[in-house]
Amino acid sequence: MDKVWIIAKSEYLRRVKSRAFILTTLLLPLAIVLFIGVIAMLSVSAFKQEKQRSVAIVDSTGVLGTALVSTSDKDLRFLQSDDSIDSLRTQVSEGDHDGYLVLPRGSVDGEGQITYYSAEGGGSMLERRIERRIEGVVEEERMRRQNLDPAVIQALRANVSLRMMRLTDEGEEVGGTKMFTVLGIGMGALIVMMMLIYGSVVMQGVIDEKSSRVVEVVISAVKPFHLMLGKVLGIGAMGLTQLVFWSLLLLVISMAAGTVIAMFLDPAQYNVTAGASTAQLLVAADIHIPDFPASLFIWLILYFLGGYLLYASLYAAIGSMVESQQDAQGFVIPVILPIIVAMYTLVPQIENPSSTLSVVMSMVPLTSPISAIVRIAVTDVPLWQSVLSLAILFGSSLGVNWLAGRIYRVGILMYGKKPSLRELIRWIRLP
Amino acid sequence: MAVLSVDAVTKRYDTVTAVDNVSLGAKPGRILGLLGPNGAGKTSTIRMITYITVPDEGTVSLDGTAVGPWSQSLIGYLPEERGLYTKMKVGEQLEYLAALRGVPPAQAHQQARTWLERLGAEDWWDKKADELSKGMQQKVQFIATVLHEPALLILDEPFTGLDPINAELLKEIILELKDAGRTILFASHRMEQVEQLCDDVCLISQGQVLLSGGLREVKQRFGKNTVTIDFVGDSSFAQSLADQELVRILSHSHQQVQLRLLEGTSERHVLETALQHVETITRFELDEPPLQEVFVQVVGEQAQSPTSTASQ
Repeated sequence: MDKVWIIAKSEYLRRVKSRAFILTTLLLPLAIVLFIGVIAMLSVSAFKQEKQRSVAIVDSTGVLGTALVSTSDKDLRFLQSDDSIDSLRTQVSEGDHDGYLVLPRGSVDGEGQITYYSAEGGGSMLERRIERRIEGVVEEERMRRQNLDPAVIQALRANVSLRMMRLTDEGEEVGGTKMFTVLGIGMGALIVMMMLIYGSVVMQGVIDEKSSRVVEVVISAVKPFHLMLGKVLGIGAMGLTQLVFWSLLLLVISMAAGTVIAMFLDPAQYNVTAGASTAQLLVAADIHIPDFPASLFIWLILYFLGGYLLYASLYAAIGSMVESQQDAQGFVIPVILPIIVAMYTLVPQIENPSSTLSVVMSMVPLTSPISAIVRIAVTDVPLWQSVLSLAILFGSSLGVNWLAGRIYRVGILMYGKKPSLRELIRWIRLP
Repeated sequence: MAVLSVDAVTKRYDTVTAVDNVSLGAKPGRILGLLGPNGAGKTSTIRMITYITVPDEGTVSLDGTAVGPWSQSLIGYLPEERGLYTKMKVGEQLEYLAALRGVPPAQAHQQARTWLERLGAEDWWDKKADELSKGMQQKVQFIATVLHEPALLILDEPFTGLDPINAELLKEIILELKDAGRTILFASHRMEQVEQLCDDVCLISQGQVLLSGGLREVKQRFGKNTVTIDFVGDSSFAQSLADQELVRILSHSHQQVQLRLLEGTSERHVLETALQHVETITRFELDEPPLQEVFVQVVGEQAQSPTSTASQ
């Protein structure tokens, strides 16, 4: 076993010292922050640039037009028009108006089709926005016809805003499920990325050793299974280094984020005294920085280790069966199929983290590293489920590791054609 | 000091018997030449000696104990199909391979430096393997084979890819190692190299041992029936002797012919015929056949005999 250690140490040190590894580890978080920043900036500026639309109204009801004009705001400006349809058409095409709205006589009673004409056709956002305005004025008009007291009408207007809270064993937590959805997707994607990348690194390492023929010298000194194990462990340690670094970084950022954001907030704007604490200021500004529970990262690391061991040994076995990266593709696809399934069902799992689908997928070893960590991120998973899922994952990792070792020891000495499934089974059975 | 003994070893792959009841032995201070055509079972035999594979039948032992993980650090193996870690630096590479054979880091470092110097490669320490030429890589591979001071050295075609100067240097080193009491197994199908280096030979073909013993003794078994003539002048006499089925031409060049006397042909007759045609004869020698000839004859006979198909 001391040889496993020598191999793992050499693989680890050799790779961790490489410029590529150091750069990815440092630059990837930076790239993600930049990416999110750019997206945020783009969406904010796109929102700001949304111009006010001017809409001419051809009103045959005599009441709705005036009411609509009074709802004009920075998004929509309504104007009554007595011009003919033909003239309005020209005005729209010449850019005087963005569009015109035709309100037939029976609009208040739900008779006749209200229609909006515009050059741009209008997106669903705009459709809903105009619809809501019309609904509002129609509603008001109907209530007025029922002779309801305007004070009652005012009282009926309920401006509701929904706040999302998350129930945990420790109590309730502000911050909303939205943040945890993002976190869930992020964790799932991270673990997939890490398993696939480091799995491929293992496979490439095995292929390099085999195709350069150095492997024959190495296995004349070391048991093939030990060579495979050392390689898998060494490269896994490299992945672990990266993951721990990123986790710590994220923890530090989430702790510092509140203070940093607070520096850009003006206390006066939120009716808070100038001496208010950061926390008070953030609450007043309705900004919630989720504090990532440290346990989440421990689960992340455990699931990464289990998932990595499972997939890396499969990748090592594939590497031993082929002589080039291209030859490996055909074998890799069935192996990553479960990962693809887990990724495709990620959204329903986040929406419904306690459904049978989610629970089953968090138990099946090939999908559990992804599904289980997503569940842990978005909901409170019973401890026994996590422990069971990890036990299944590590148990099957060991089993797969053993099987992969059986294939590996034969595969690395075989050159020429790729093995068939029957040959693989025979390799496994060889004494 | 290590005495290698392979006893009645058989190895089958699928339906093919790669090694069929092979026995051979190698002793300290001697070089055993392992000969045989391609696919004869040499590599399969070597893999069992190095404990990469295990025999189906028979035993391989070193100093009387069956080989296993314990013996792997006592063996230095230079395979025929060999390579280095392409992206690893030469120094790092040598230290790593030595560590796998249990050499302490400081000692491995020291040994690697010494050997690189000995082979005129002291500047290569920080070079990556894929920056080296084929011949240079070959030297590094050789160093990796001997760095841990193995008692048993297995060299499979160690000279391929080396220029004559480096081949000579390597030969010198191999002979030094032999004199230092190492046991050396030298696998090759370059017969002239085997003849220059080996004390003993073992000829394998189709998984079976066809010949084994001391080099001289094996050749003597084939009798003194080979004539070498160095001459000046017309060489057509050789062809006419061959046409009369009195001799077989083993080699034929501008100034030298090597002939095998066939049944009943006297060397005297050959000499007289030659004298009639050429201007001068500078050498006339009757000797044992060259190993090349023994090889061709023995392997050829096996191919013709009906038993050969049975062993396939």
